[in-house]
Amino acid sequence: MVHEFSYVAPTSLDELLATLSERTKAGERAVVLNGGTDLLVSVRAGLERPDVVVDMKRVPELHRLSFDNKEGLTIGATVTVDEVLASEEVRERYRVFHAALSELADHHLRNRATVTGNLVTASPCGDSTSPLLTLKAELVITSASGSRRMKVQEFITGVKQTALKPDEIVEKIVVPAESAGARGGYRKLKRIKGHDLGLVMVALYRTDDEIRLSIGSAAPRPVLIEGIKPGTDADRVKTMAQAAINPIDDVRASAEYRRAMVDAFIEQLLEEVK
Amino acid sequence: MKIQVSINGTEYVRDVAEHKTLLSFLRGVLGLTGTKGGCGAGECGACTVIMDGKAVKSCLILAAESDGATIETIEGEAAGSELSDIQKAFERHHAVQCGYCTPGMIMSVKDLLRRNPTPTRAQIIHGIEGNFCRCTGYEQIIEAVEELAGTRTTKGELDYV
Repeated sequence: MVHEFSYVAPTSLDELLATLSERTKAGERAVVLNGGTDLLVSVRAGLERPDVVVDMKRVPELHRLSFDNKEGLTIGATVTVDEVLASEEVRERYRVFHAALSELADHHLRNRATVTGNLVTASPCGDSTSPLLTLKAELVITSASGSRRMKVQEFITGVKQTALKPDEIVEKIVVPAESAGARGGYRKLKRIKGHDLGLVMVALYRTDDEIRLSIGSAAPRPVLIEGIKPGTDADRVKTMAQAAINPIDDVRASAEYRRAMVDAFIEQLLEEVK
Repeated sequence: MKIQVSINGTEYVRDVAEHKTLLSFLRGVLGLTGTKGGCGAGECGACTVIMDGKAVKSCLILAAESDGATIETIEGEAAGSELSDIQKAFERHHAVQCGYCTPGMIMSVKDLLRRNPTPTRAQIIHGIEGNFCRCTGYEQIIEAVEELAGTRTTKGELDYV
């Protein structure tokens, strides 16, 4: 790393939160280190210049993954993408989420990267964001002065921007039990067969009463469209999606191509869950 | 800070700058230059090592984070002048051209074969998707792994030469 910083690794949640609070109050830029697969890239690119990096991976309380019929699925901050993928509960109850996570980067990165980190990075092309939006997931945000709960769509405020304050962490993600068992699918457009950032992604969630659609990489923030009645004409759904997205031309794809592929994916996914 | 790591069975206790990556620690501090640096952004896989039983990209891990870890690198493959089975298979199939991706590729293959000793062709491709090779076109690498797995069903590239 060209930029120099110090490193601390608290071993309890209280110590982690106290460290963040104290360092931030002292005017230091304290940045939480989770899987590191985004943070260290940002530091190297000069986009992030921490004074101190606070590693959260040695806090046992944050490394929990559980499901019960009341609370739903709880994903602790440091649970890696591969650990979520290995969970039978996730595979069986949240199939679209599971499918999306298996498209996230490659095996090596999934061994380190965390779902929480993917949300906190708040990239428009984050693979976990779209399925979590359709599942109505909430985040538990914690600091030394207490906890608050927030919906994913409120949390992500812009391109790589979130509602997280410097002394706060995302302690866990909670996916409601009511969202379990829904049908649906995930489509990700890539330039190559191997690991790549999504050019556009579409997640579809379907119950007997409702279809929800989330589109990534097609607007500054992932888009969520709720309350679609099953059986709604595909053209009508595509019109709704096109009105909600605002893709850009960039080195990876043109806006026109992104819009066309959103339509194609919606058509495929609606056909699949008929 | 002072860290302790076990690398290819040898214990090391060393001082390391807290902002340095595991990759720069391996190469710059320990002189284990078999592991290569490529993109520095977790995309190319040249820096792949196995840490606590998992294939990881050492350019995206701080040396400080690896305190207490058990690490395997390419230097742990050959025993003296005797190449490991994976290395021998790579040699037989001409799966090495310029060689820059090879240390990372071999660590990924080692990890893959541990998780799944008999991968199919599709599973092999999936297993090395995080490792870029710009010379071979991957075909000979896949064939080398197929031979190791005993799952090779087609004639190899070299059989036509």
